[in-house]
Amino acid sequence: MAFSITNACIGCNACKLVCPQKAIVSGSNGYAIAAHRCNECVGHHADPQCASICPIETAIVDANHRALNPPGSLTGLPTERNVIAISLLEQRVSKAQGDARPASGEGHVC
Amino acid sequence: MEQTHTSCTPTGHTQAGNGCGSQTNDSAALGLQLDDPKLSADVVNKVTTHPCYSPEGHKYARIHLPVAPACNIQCNYCNRKFDCSNESRPGVVSKLLSPAQGADRFSKVKARIPQTNVVGIAGPGDPLANPAATLATLKTVARTEPDVHLCVSTNGLALLEQVEPLKSAGVSHLTITINCIDAAIGEKIYPWVFYNHKRLRGRQGAQTLIDRQLAGLQAAVAAGMLVKVNTVLIPGINDHHIEALSQELKSYGALLHNIMPLISDPAHGTYFGLTGQRQPTEDEVSAARQAAGTNMAQMSHCQQCRADAVGHLGQDIDLNELAATQSPPTQSDEESSVLVAVASKSGVLIDQHFGYAESFAVYRITADGIEQREPRQVSKYCVGDDCDVAESRMDANLQALSGIKHVLCSRIGITPWQALEQHGVTPSTEYALFGIEDGLEQLQAQLIDSGSLSPQSTSDIKEAM
Repeated sequence: MAFSITNACIGCNACKLVCPQKAIVSGSNGYAIAAHRCNECVGHHADPQCASICPIETAIVDANHRALNPPGSLTGLPTERNVIAISLLEQRVSKAQGDARPASGEGHVC
Repeated sequence: MEQTHTSCTPTGHTQAGNGCGSQTNDSAALGLQLDDPKLSADVVNKVTTHPCYSPEGHKYARIHLPVAPACNIQCNYCNRKFDCSNESRPGVVSKLLSPAQGADRFSKVKARIPQTNVVGIAGPGDPLANPAATLATLKTVARTEPDVHLCVSTNGLALLEQVEPLKSAGVSHLTITINCIDAAIGEKIYPWVFYNHKRLRGRQGAQTLIDRQLAGLQAAVAAGMLVKVNTVLIPGINDHHIEALSQELKSYGALLHNIMPLISDPAHGTYFGLTGQRQPTEDEVSAARQAAGTNMAQMSHCQQCRADAVGHLGQDIDLNELAATQSPPTQSDEESSVLVAVASKSGVLIDQHFGYAESFAVYRITADGIEQREPRQVSKYCVGDDCDVAESRMDANLQALSGIKHVLCSRIGITPWQALEQHGVTPSTEYALFGIEDGLEQLQAQLIDSGSLSPQSTSDIKEAM
């Protein structure tokens, strides 16, 4: 009986600070739950602490790989909106990079 | 890539920045009147030497140390996922620092910009959701530079219980982001808060946050801190509520009110951004400041800066360039460092029995950093033979561990425990099955708290995270 952390984790460290079992370990490879320490907070609290403070949907899953915070449960946003956000962000980054370069055909010869 | 929003006040997570840049005669008239006889000389001095508290403070510089990644609430104007160099708004930083790295960054900046007299912790999460990192950083900075102003910017949820620790760490300036005092409004801004071991949603969450913010505000004012309140102006949500809010803030003793416009660019991926919540116009911002100005002195020179901003307002310096500069030379480091041996089978966790270890990983801990040293080879103490032989091995192992002050392992027998103690080595199983890095960091914090480590050396901090 133990939870685990998925690739969705952003490494905000909040879970580690509230885990009563000190089961959350972090290093250069990100965050993970030491299964032998995790007891899903049974006997400590009514709700699992990591999943109750985690801001990222699907970042913490149970032994059956079910997300404790499923998509839409924390932000109230449908998942497609997050996809839109990422694509907007990408557009903006590539536009900004494009702006930084001289437009083709207009470069000055030094 | 960088947008024009840059530097300013230590402000909480996400959008807890401060109002925009334009200054009109109107806004100056709404500002803090420094000749007000009710303000003591001490308060006037604290206000005028802080770039975020008064326009007069512009000649001083500030540094935000991004040591606090965790947050205990969600705001609809914040998206914790994105950290893009394209955006520089509050709550966003490029790289997190440990408390030791934070203190080192301050020393480097101070050497480069001597007017740096303000050190703030503003996130990128909530400083008080990371109390250990926040307090350790503030204390280390205060030891290095006793005259610096220490600031914290918080959402206020965990403030009440942290007022005393903050006060004793020397925090003089505090900013709380309070967007409303009505939970019916709050539930449209905060989808959840984490309080007392539970995720509270909707109106219950908002009410909890508001109650705690006001109790924290009152306690901070009573403790003598200069409290500024930031309010994010959200059209259609809290814009009709600003006057009532400012009245309440006045009655609780806040010094300054900073109303700042919502940033809701959809590219940031925030709830407000993606649901089409619009930003206020400049006119709406000044109308809100006028309305609040009847109760509270208004701030209008803020630039909504990031949680890792450095330098004079509006002239942030390049941290990459800074990283290349050398720290001041160190003094003798013998007294300010401790060697620690770790028994680890996996190389990741502190997971080996002392008696089974054939090699100990060795780390040198200073107040400012942790670095790995050459491992020490020993003979396995516990091989099931008789105890006299084991004892002679222990002697050899004590030799091999000379200079070591602490041994961290998963378990240890009472005989070797006593032998180590007799030789001035402190064994510990307190960090059994912790990550090595975590165990060492906790030991470091303990040693700093107990005064066993003093922050003399700052040269050997690894910037790498």
